Amino acid sequence: MAGTVIGEGLSIEGDVSSEEEVVVQGNLRGKLTTTDAVSVGSSAVIEADVSAQSLTIAGQVTGDVTAAERVDLQAGGRLIGDVKASRLTIADGASFKGNVDMDV
Amino acid sequence: MNGSVIGRGTVVRGNVRGSGSLEILGRVEGDVSVSGELLLGEESAVKGSVSGSHITVSGAVQGDVRGSEAVLLERGARVVGDLTAPRIGVATGALVKGLVRTDGEPVLGTPRRPATAGARPVAFPARAPAPVPAPAPKPSEPSETVEEPESEPPPLPQEKAAREAPPPPVVPALAKGAKAKKKKRED
Amino acid sequence: MMRHSSEGSVLGPSTRVTGRISGEGALRVEGGLKGDISVSGPAEIAEGASVEGSVHAESLEVAGSLLGDAVTRGPIAVRAGAVVRGDLRGSEISIEPGSRVSVRLDTQVELDLGAPRRR
Repeated sequence: MAGTVIGEGLSIEGDVSSEEEVVVQGNLRGKLTTTDAVSVGSSAVIEADVSAQSLTIAGQVTGDVTAAERVDLQAGGRLIGDVKASRLTIADGASFKGNVDMDV
Repeated sequence: MNGSVIGRGTVVRGNVRGSGSLEILGRVEGDVSVSGELLLGEESAVKGSVSGSHITVSGAVQGDVRGSEAVLLERGARVVGDLTAPRIGVATGALVKGLVRTDGEPVLGTPRRPATAGARPVAFPARAPAPVPAPAPKPSEPSETVEEPESEPPPLPQEKAAREAPPPPVVPALAKGAKAKKKKRED
Repeated sequence: MMRHSSEGSVLGPSTRVTGRISGEGALRVEGGLKGDISVSGPAEIAEGASVEGSVHAESLEVAGSLLGDAVTRGPIAVRAGAVVRGDLRGSEISIEPGSRVSVRLDTQVELDLGAPRRR
């Protein structure tokens, strides 16, 4: 299922809550919550707290992120904010500033 | 652009805007404005104004819908709000409560409304105290019914209208007494 | 002028009428009318025809021009090329793209904007 795609060029200011996969390539400012996966594309700029089942970041995220499973910060990705997840990977070439809580 | 989709299981509380096209299958509580095509799917619901180039509505909208090219309401669409676009289609089985106006046509019953405004007559300059010359059709006055334009000086050049019918009489705004009377019917 | 038949009345293309038209059965306007229409059957404003006045009929189809309100028990159809200004009230209202309209529709609309809908 395609789920939700916030494409490049699209901006949302406000809260997004979902029960499906959310792919962000555009801008989001506010809050993002889903029970499924979130994928932050390389062109995405997010200023929001993000809560998801799992989270992949290739773009820019400013805000605290919480994942039930894992957070993957990919090369080129940038995260400023605290991470709460049982697993976290930070790829070579990614930048990250914040605290990590892997308390399980 | 790669089209954006707000999926069925997604709720957005806030404004959505941008370039390119957008398909809404879920819910949005806020204004939606895109430069490209906008598709509001069967089970979609938008509470806010909606604008785009070519807008197709199959879901529910509570707010004005403004298309820079076209607005098409499919069967099953439900809109409470005004529709404006150069081309408007309302399919049988689509429900609308509001004003439906193709560009270039005079605005019904909203005097002194700026010609370009796509918004509802709510936020209005104080200049005219929005005397909504309510529809309240009184079928008993045959000569009156034709004169509806009286309270609405045609806001636009009547380029094409002149061909089909005499342009509505150009009458200055309402007389003082009339205004008071009409005000009562404001809603 | 008015041709009567079992199916209804027709106001021919070269006919101009000022006044009220009422009666049983259907009415098709092909010419010009300044005044109200009240018929028990379906009304039609043909392409090239114009009506300035209100319409009460069983149903209404507009391909010409209507400046005035329309109230019908059945459907109202605005065809491409038509010009309509006024309030429209009918069981169902359809507007074809390519028409020029400035109309007020007052349909009862149930909006379920609450919880997401599920099939």
